[in-house]
Amino acid sequence: MLRDLVFASLLIIIILALTYLTYSGGLGDLPPRDVRVIASNYLNLTYNQGITWLWAASPEAVTAIVWDYRGLDTLFETVVFYGAILAALTLFRSVSKVPEFVSSAGLSLVVKRVTAIVTLAILAVAASTALHGHLTPGGGFQGGAIASVAPLLLLVVFGKQFFIERRISYSKLLTIRNASLALLGFTSVALLILGFLTGFQAYIFQNQAKIVSTLSYPPYLLDVPLGGSLFFFNLFEFLAVASGFTLVFTILLSRDETLRKELEGEELGY
Amino acid sequence: MDIELIKFMFMLTTISLYFNVAISLYGVVSKTNLVKKLIALTIFQDTVNMFTILIGYKLWRPGLLLQPPVLTDLSPTSETLREFVERSVDPLPQAFVLTAVVIGLAVTLFLTTIILHVSYHFKTVNVDEIGRSKRVYIHEEAV
Repeated sequence: MLRDLVFASLLIIIILALTYLTYSGGLGDLPPRDVRVIASNYLNLTYNQGITWLWAASPEAVTAIVWDYRGLDTLFETVVFYGAILAALTLFRSVSKVPEFVSSAGLSLVVKRVTAIVTLAILAVAASTALHGHLTPGGGFQGGAIASVAPLLLLVVFGKQFFIERRISYSKLLTIRNASLALLGFTSVALLILGFLTGFQAYIFQNQAKIVSTLSYPPYLLDVPLGGSLFFFNLFEFLAVASGFTLVFTILLSRDETLRKELEGEELGY
Repeated sequence: MDIELIKFMFMLTTISLYFNVAISLYGVVSKTNLVKKLIALTIFQDTVNMFTILIGYKLWRPGLLLQPPVLTDLSPTSETLREFVERSVDPLPQAFVLTAVVIGLAVTLFLTTIILHVSYHFKTVNVDEIGRSKRVYIHEEAV
């Protein structure tokens, strides 16, 4: 109890100090009068047809930063995402090998019909968010997170039987996820490989042509901006995120006995 | 609308976010239930993300229309680009938060599976009880 009290009073003192510092201008003007120089550079260059050796061919500045200007950062963040999902799957690794024979009928007919309609809408919104990520607010991460809600809903409303009947298995989802992550990696080095083969100079994570390297992803698809590699990154990230989350949701919603099997034969205590 | 009022509201929001951080940290440290710790941790994550978005915002002034960092004109002239840079809010914090949210969700799922494991193993999610049962076991082993 005393420990809690000391901690709470410590937090209150820290808040008061931070409040005083913020109020006296510690964070500068709040909100700032103008964006930082680096941000206005990004905004100016992202779809500047006059400076095509520095542009990202994407009217959406956030996607341009995420997958072009700071693309390597995002690749490593994707690795963190990959690792977290992998760790979660490893903790229940035997669940994937146990074939589940369940006969759950799911919820009532009314809920099922409504869910069927809503699921279609969710998937449509997710696909539009991901595939138009370089034109409108959104991208692969958001689209994947939206799309993973659909299988979660289906699992709850239709029961796990629904997935088993349609042969949406653990290994298939894992394959989709691994393949899309591999393609994501390939997209980042595709121009480099092409450069090696054709004798041109290119960089890792190159999107549009630069002054010293003329290789480039196509900036347009039938007069609609494609964003070069941004479209492919968004697409593969969408698949990876959606299938990764679906995998973990499938495991978390397994039967209790299946999950308990994981601990069989283990000694007491970690 | 008055600019001073907007500034005051921003200050208020910032300070309320400090309170949010403090409350969620208190939850992470002092709650003994692992699930409650996890909930406090997600509140902490979201507060920090919110804070990051907030500092990328821009002060509204009369005659200035703020817009998200998305160019709507697909064949922009230098005039439209200048206007876009003037109107748009900072895209950089949004780009940081974007990945942080998904990684946060993945880490939350990972922690959920760990807590599930712990609850099956120890038949409780109370950290004090888990610590006690481990101590008993170690004592038995020593004897």
